[in-house]
Amino acid sequence: MTDQKAGRVDRVVMRDIRKRYGMVDALRGVTLRVGPGEVVGLVGDNAAGKSTLMKVLAGAVVPDSGEIVFDGRPVSFATPKDARELGIEMVYQDLALCDDIDVAGNLFLGREPRKAGGLLLDVRTMHADARRHLDALNIRIPLTDIPVGGLSGGQRQAVAIARAVTFGPKLLILDEPTAALAVAEVETVLELIKTVSAQGVSVILITHRLQDLFRVCDRLCVMYEGTLRADLDARGTSLERLVAEIVAHDDEKEGRRR
Amino acid sequence: MTAAKTATGPGTSRRVVTTRSARASAHIGRHAQTIAIAVVLVVLLIFFAASADRFATTGNLLNLLRQIAPTLVVATAMTFVIGTSGIDLSVGSTVALSGSLLAIVLKHGWDPTLALVAILALGALIGFVNGWFSSYQNIPPFIVTLAMLSIMRGTALRATEGYSTPIDGDLWIVQIGQGRIAGVPVPVVIAVVVALAGWLVLTRTPFGRYVIGLGSNGESLRRAGVNTRKVGLTVYVLAGLAAAVAGVLIATRLSSGSSNAGNGFELEVITAVVLGGASLFGGRASMLGTILGALTLGVIANGLVLLHVSPFYVQIVQGAILLLAIFANSKVWARFGAIRK
Repeated sequence: MTDQKAGRVDRVVMRDIRKRYGMVDALRGVTLRVGPGEVVGLVGDNAAGKSTLMKVLAGAVVPDSGEIVFDGRPVSFATPKDARELGIEMVYQDLALCDDIDVAGNLFLGREPRKAGGLLLDVRTMHADARRHLDALNIRIPLTDIPVGGLSGGQRQAVAIARAVTFGPKLLILDEPTAALAVAEVETVLELIKTVSAQGVSVILITHRLQDLFRVCDRLCVMYEGTLRADLDARGTSLERLVAEIVAHDDEKEGRRR
Repeated sequence: MTAAKTATGPGTSRRVVTTRSARASAHIGRHAQTIAIAVVLVVLLIFFAASADRFATTGNLLNLLRQIAPTLVVATAMTFVIGTSGIDLSVGSTVALSGSLLAIVLKHGWDPTLALVAILALGALIGFVNGWFSSYQNIPPFIVTLAMLSIMRGTALRATEGYSTPIDGDLWIVQIGQGRIAGVPVPVVIAVVVALAGWLVLTRTPFGRYVIGLGSNGESLRRAGVNTRKVGLTVYVLAGLAAAVAGVLIATRLSSGSSNAGNGFELEVITAVVLGGASLFGGRASMLGTILGALTLGVIANGLVLLHVSPFYVQIVQGAILLLAIFANSKVWARFGAIRK
């Protein structure tokens, strides 16, 4: 998808997305665009609507109204499978791993390599492929046949990210990927983000670790109470400015872009 | 639980598994229950062989296997149900209804093949109802299948008016319960085939993987794009079908369909599965363990009878075993495996 027009057609545009949960207005008309290979940091206080917005984009939540345009075509997702088929992968904050299934099984969950006409799992291929993918991403998990419930928090996060990355997504959504990681593991994830975006994969990064954002992001989008409050250029923005936007300091209003 | 794990900060990677020996111990930990139940079974076999004269004879052992065949067939399906963290309490009543109706329709002159197909379809339909309420309507399967237990038992009583219905011994269908293939009782052959098929499906197919995934973290499986409701429905259909097979096995073995058949059968089946190491919270299930669990129950029941212990004690022992197995599952084995629930 990194053709000559790629620089001009947005990878995804979400327009006026709305979602209510009973009395709670989770999303009150959010518009967000991401270009090909762009890394967008999505920040905001708790309950600002970041996770809900991303679940809409990943097909896990169906919005009440609004429009999603992916690679120039209007799309709508009824299930995560629809979004995934277009190349949207999401790593959820709560990891979404099955503790009782082994590493390789989790990497391929829902799309296991099969044999015998699709009837049986091709376990050997699964473990070999899992090993190759983990090595390619510099993820150090020596065994692919132990349940992920037996892994450390960092290893589990690595498995979750590897699962999303290894299937060649066009848009990768990472929800708090570094929240539970050791310092060295954070570096690995940030390098991973740079690597995939250099290949033309768009990345949306949700995180509370603001220092990470300036390391990898092109743009920073700030959400506040279900709306997109600010859309900032990561290179021209200070940490103070970003914090002010997150807590919705009105003094900063005139500086808002778009 | 997952959130708590995510919150473990840097440096708390207490369960890092890094070496070959760690893998070996992880595997032993995961299979500790299967190994334990195998040891228990061997000890029981030796004990009864030594204390009951007629225990270790080919005739008795084949008889023992024939007795547990219906249990093993349904326990195979129940392993899938419990693997998804579900439960099916209605299997005993389904056994009674399918056996009773089989005898009744045969008495009305139905072709045995047609009768067999109809009974199996009925079992699958009962399972479908269980699965639809549990999986698609999110009603706890405990309640759904408890209600079905009552409905099916009542239907069986109404259909038979409480009398047992004889099955004509000249019909080929009684061979399902009484026939032998190369000296091995047909029910044993059927049970072995079902259990092997169950093992293959649970360990080697995507469906088996999804059953464990559904019990382990259903939301994760759903987000992975798997139709989790269909998986949840399918396990109950399998259980209903297996219960109908068991009903046919029991009715044809006794040449009679009774509405009192399969009383407490669900308890026996669930005990076999839990004894085999399956977690009632889902995500853990072992087909080999289930087979060993069913064998253990059969050996205890058979051995106690041969030792002239009152058959009433068998029920007490079975209940006690279930309680002990659940206790061991949640308190003892949890320390061995990497997985805790």
